[in-house]
Amino acid sequence: MALKWQGDIGMATTDQTGSNTQLLQEILKKARATDDFSTFMSLCRQRKKITADLPDAAVRDPLRIAILGGATTDFLELPLKLELETLGCTSTITCADYNNFVAEMMDATSQTARFKPDVAVLLVNPFNVADWPAPGESAETVDSMADQLADHWLGLCQSFHTHASCDIILGNLHLLPVRSAGNLGAKLPWEPNSFLRRVNAALSRKAPGFVHIFDIETLSAIHGVSNWFDARFWYHAKQPVSFDCLVPFVRNLASIIGALYGHTAKCLVLDLDNTLWGGVVGDDGIGGIKIGEGDAEGEAFKAFQEYILSLKNRGLLLAVSSKNEEANALEPFEQLPDMVLKRDDFVAFKANWEPKPLAIEQIAQELNIGLNSLVFVDDNPAERELVRQSLPEVNVLELSDDPADYPRLLDRCGWIETVKLTDEDMKKTDQYRQNIERDTLQAQHTDYDSYLESLSQRAVVRAFEPKHLNRITQLINKTNQFNLTTQRLTRSEVESLMNREDVLTAYIRLADRFGDNGLISVFSAHIEDDVLNIDLWLMSCRVLKRGVERLLANHIFEQAKSLNIRLVRGVYIPTAKNKMVEKLFEELGFRSAGEGDNGAEYWEMQVKDYEPEPVQISMGADEDL
Amino acid sequence: MTEEEIWGQLTEVFRDVFADDGLEIHSETTAEDIEDWDSLTNVQLLIAIEKSFAGMKFNTGEVANLENVGQMVALIQERLAR
Repeated sequence: MALKWQGDIGMATTDQTGSNTQLLQEILKKARATDDFSTFMSLCRQRKKITADLPDAAVRDPLRIAILGGATTDFLELPLKLELETLGCTSTITCADYNNFVAEMMDATSQTARFKPDVAVLLVNPFNVADWPAPGESAETVDSMADQLADHWLGLCQSFHTHASCDIILGNLHLLPVRSAGNLGAKLPWEPNSFLRRVNAALSRKAPGFVHIFDIETLSAIHGVSNWFDARFWYHAKQPVSFDCLVPFVRNLASIIGALYGHTAKCLVLDLDNTLWGGVVGDDGIGGIKIGEGDAEGEAFKAFQEYILSLKNRGLLLAVSSKNEEANALEPFEQLPDMVLKRDDFVAFKANWEPKPLAIEQIAQELNIGLNSLVFVDDNPAERELVRQSLPEVNVLELSDDPADYPRLLDRCGWIETVKLTDEDMKKTDQYRQNIERDTLQAQHTDYDSYLESLSQRAVVRAFEPKHLNRITQLINKTNQFNLTTQRLTRSEVESLMNREDVLTAYIRLADRFGDNGLISVFSAHIEDDVLNIDLWLMSCRVLKRGVERLLANHIFEQAKSLNIRLVRGVYIPTAKNKMVEKLFEELGFRSAGEGDNGAEYWEMQVKDYEPEPVQISMGADEDL
Repeated sequence: MTEEEIWGQLTEVFRDVFADDGLEIHSETTAEDIEDWDSLTNVQLLIAIEKSFAGMKFNTGEVANLENVGQMVALIQERLAR
């Protein structure tokens, strides 16, 4: 019967999936915009209803997430799923039974371990604290009790990590909304809130790399502990967070998970007039715009610039897209001492009269990053709407009409979360600016080879090393374009590659006369008999067309030869973003070896056939860079 | 507020919580009758009612699972009368 009606059903489904895909976009857009629990829950339910009628692509390769805790966690499933979806992650979520986390995490065969999560979330709360310090206990004793409790929870994380080798997110403790010793408690180490603070400090201090702290202590303080925790629903349903704070709770949790898998923004695209300063510089002149001390709004704009600078200092890139004459737009940066942000803080500066979506696309192209890596910040609702409609992938921040709100609105959006900071992050703006100087140099050289030569490039090529694990993991999860397989890995998975004897790994660091580009390329392949199978090959687009891919190919075949490998086999798995490498194997001289699932293309080359090509990069040691 | 008005407003709350614009409720409607009505949605219902009927806050004793919608309306009436 199914066969008989297949045609009709097929037609109906096509229409249905089309309109549901649109409906899904609507739901996701509304979910991003709301902090209200009721609105959010009804969106969750609408989302659930259309699941069956969505095209398969919408549910491909879900992230597996396990939630455990000393509280009820079932209610988190749908909201977390929806919030993750707004970040571009589909997920399958399992929630362990209430307060069963000790057994679930210790036992290698527990239901949660068998679920094989990619990420486990452990949520503890003050009700899970069994031993409180006795009144009058000394600071030393309280500290050692705090350490013990932290060790207990982190020990569970360690044990689960051993079974499931997954990343673990550990929610720390919110403070209590009551104080048994009043304000004096702040001076008493044994007072409950003093103890909770010490436990949190111990968790932060002792957490290993695979444990990511979900900072509920700070998040609950931002919202107010009395709002965070609704005792009625703790007594009734063992619910650890009030419904009023459920949206910020799942949004933060989702943004940590998103950041673990590279769903995080790399660049803020900022408007100028009424976004970075008050007024319109083209009309009001630099004497008329509001920025800095002496004017309440001016101070608010200055505070927003300070917050943005703090984001830049930890690795976020900044760009400008403003409808202005360029000379007018630059004047405040050059002449007003109260401007916290300087022209040099921006890696791209588009001040013209072109439509903003055009400028934003140019910025993405120049920086070689995807549109979904951009957050657009503009006070003008019409510009925001235009960008939303023309470039749906761009994250558009909803602003209020008060600059005093801006920092908080940007802070709460969840798009700029990061799970680790690397040295590269801290130097990023410099690196991109050096790129722009390099482009200028390139313009002076008619012959590309002589340009490359003039760069005096030096590289280090080595197998993975523990000191670079963070950066390697980050690159694996962030790189979209020059990435042959787009295989994402957690830090633990990368670590295990490093330790396997049948796996050949490599990373490349590159420096030139303009500075250190940092660790920019990652490779991994596994050996099967006399065949080397390439699993990972990716490179930061900052160093495109510099000969790095050829340098790596030379290195791989040299290694392969010394290991008596006969054949190197590569695969290109196409995605929406990695078209730039579709011809890489062909260009290196590989022969096509058929196609697999998902349009995967296989390529092969005999090791004896490889002819190394010279590159204009000298090989060096770390200290040469 | 008349009983009829309470029913009207409560119906809106139910439709909103269960994302079903055609949902009808009666005195005898219980959790058995609505597919998604579980302990979780029950708590959501109570919160949504608190938000919808301004100033209403159920105390811990009242947050128990009410047996049917009729009892819910009775409780709302009682709280509004206080």
